[in-house]
Amino acid sequence: MTQKQFYSKVTQIETLKVELEDLNLTQEEKAHLSRLIDASLHNTILDLILSELSEEDKRVFLDHLVTDDHTKIWQHLNKNIEGVEKKIRKAADELHKELKRDIHEVKKDA
Amino acid sequence: MPRKKSHYHNLKNKWIDKHSKIQDKVLSTHPELVRHVTDRTKQLAIGSLGSLMLLTSPVLPQAFKEEPKPIPQNEKSESDEVKKVDNKSFLIHDLENVLPDKVRPLNGDEEKIVEKILTRHFNVPVAGELEGKKLNTQYGIIGAEQHLMRYPGDTMSTHFATNQESQKYFSSGMAPGRGAWGYFASSRQAMTQKDVDREKYYIAVQTFLSENFNSRFAEYRDFYKYRKMLVVNPQNGKGVVAVIGDAGPAQWTGKHLGGSPEVMIHLERVDGKRRGAVLYFFIDDPDDKIPLGPINLK
Repeated sequence: MTQKQFYSKVTQIETLKVELEDLNLTQEEKAHLSRLIDASLHNTILDLILSELSEEDKRVFLDHLVTDDHTKIWQHLNKNIEGVEKKIRKAADELHKELKRDIHEVKKDA
Repeated sequence: MPRKKSHYHNLKNKWIDKHSKIQDKVLSTHPELVRHVTDRTKQLAIGSLGSLMLLTSPVLPQAFKEEPKPIPQNEKSESDEVKKVDNKSFLIHDLENVLPDKVRPLNGDEEKIVEKILTRHFNVPVAGELEGKKLNTQYGIIGAEQHLMRYPGDTMSTHFATNQESQKYFSSGMAPGRGAWGYFASSRQAMTQKDVDREKYYIAVQTFLSENFNSRFAEYRDFYKYRKMLVVNPQNGKGVVAVIGDAGPAQWTGKHLGGSPEVMIHLERVDGKRRGAVLYFFIDDPDDKIPLGPINLK
């Protein structure tokens, strides 16, 4: 089970999961790989955001994260990180490229 | 279908590795994640580091689907408790990502990944294969064993050092015969603490199902005798350093190994209908420095 994350609107990682459809995997296998994609994206974005915030702002961000208040999260991030949406999108795109390359490599073995 | 299997396994292994590296980077670069949790004394135990990275991470491990429990009030134990919960939740999550849904022998890739996970979390060098020898599986259903006679004349009335131990472990009873390697000591007087610990924390494994066991019997017998192993319950993250103290169980039982009463109780594993699986890997400890018994996460 995956939850909608505060960054879901700015990342296109779902398109990657569509690529998994071409691999003839079972539902279970697809679900597991999807979860791995989501987990890697989540921690990549967490790393990016925490690297850009001051100590105090990190604490505020983490508080909002635990309560999953997307509005407050974005208000806080927009106030404290310049171009945060662009940065998140860029980090997500880089991860997207890496994972897509991995999928294409295994497809080549077909 | 071999091709389909290799797609999934190739991607899974690559992505688990990638995710572990990203996760490790987050934790080492941002220790405030841990501090934030330990400062928030009113947070529920599950509202911890594990939850920041797991519950709020899209992967929801089974461990977090229960009602969370409150953190105890004592400040020192609070911090320790939170850290223990955090570390266990990471271990459980890491293992959940790699272990197959059905209990079966791990394939080469799975074994290597689990080796890394266990070595990292428990800070002991583990291996599925040691000195060219390997058991039939490293992931199997564990059943309950009885106490073993440690020396000639050892009985249930002489077996325990304290009343507390007796109350806890007496009901398991004593096996009628000796273990596969006989007595642990020649007499009560000759028995050392090491002998006591070996019998306390022993497992019985299916040595006879190892490849080449029959053709190289003496070599394998000596290798397996009191061989140190890390036994881990992947559902609760609990681990114990045990020795191979007996051979068994028979294949027809459906179980792959047996644990002494002390091992079973620590791992919170039971026999019967609610039996479950454990991971068991060799510990590479040529200098015999790693003590036997329950082992904490680092």
